Amino acid sequence: MNLASLLSKDRIILSLKPGKKNKVIEDLVYTIKQGVDAELIVSTLLKREELGSTGIGKAIAIPHCRSLAVDKLEIAVGRTTKPIKFNAIDKKPVSLIFLIIAPPQDPGNQYLITLGKVVQIAKEIIKKKLIGKSQTPEEFITLIDQVEKGLKKGK
Amino acid sequence: MSTEIVEMHLKLLFDLDNLLNDMDEPTYKKIGFKVEEQEKQSLIKTRTDLLKKLPRETADIYERLRKRYQRAIAPVDNGFCFGCFQRLPTQLLARREKIITCPNCGRILYWRKK
Repeated sequence: MNLASLLSKDRIILSLKPGKKNKVIEDLVYTIKQGVDAELIVSTLLKREELGSTGIGKAIAIPHCRSLAVDKLEIAVGRTTKPIKFNAIDKKPVSLIFLIIAPPQDPGNQYLITLGKVVQIAKEIIKKKLIGKSQTPEEFITLIDQVEKGLKKGK
Repeated sequence: MSTEIVEMHLKLLFDLDNLLNDMDEPTYKKIGFKVEEQEKQSLIKTRTDLLKKLPRETADIYERLRKRYQRAIAPVDNGFCFGCFQRLPTQLLARREKIITCPNCGRILYWRKK
């Protein structure tokens, strides 16, 4: 399964308002779920952040968790208009956020495979300075597709 | 304690347990996310506190199922238990007043909001 096929344009915010880490996570969760389900997801994501920031360095963060509130792997993407503090491992601010929520029952462990793939693709986007290239969610999905294909060819 | 609060505590407990399980997966460790051991211990304490907040009987069922299956709660989809993939009896689907377990595998059932 390729990453681009898991993205949907209404869950990609390319001009995400910068704010506190928790607020940015909340804004992205609300593109996936609302109400009590969203609260539960946010609470679990913040618990995960307490264990250690999911800011993996180079301006990228990948908040993630499993939740009963979803029945399939869900991804939301945010690009902040200004870098935000995320307590990332390199201590640098973050501007590209991939938020991943997986159901507890996950055939073939798609969740962990996708997490690994997102890390790889996000790093490639930063390395090739492609982060600011997309103007629309559709362009962003195309970019992810191209990067992913490029990585496959490079293997 | 109302069924809604018990359900909320159970869901949170379940999600925390899933977090802790994933941390121990070799694939997860290989990805390279930072995990502070001290914070992990604090999360284990949070789940213990949450477990204590549940009625004794519910907490015992949850722990017993977790030890048996790793995941104690199973979502219900289209009338099926997504833990054992068996169709649930119709009369069970109509009962929503308390914590319900699957008659086949015993997992605690969870109905997602549509």
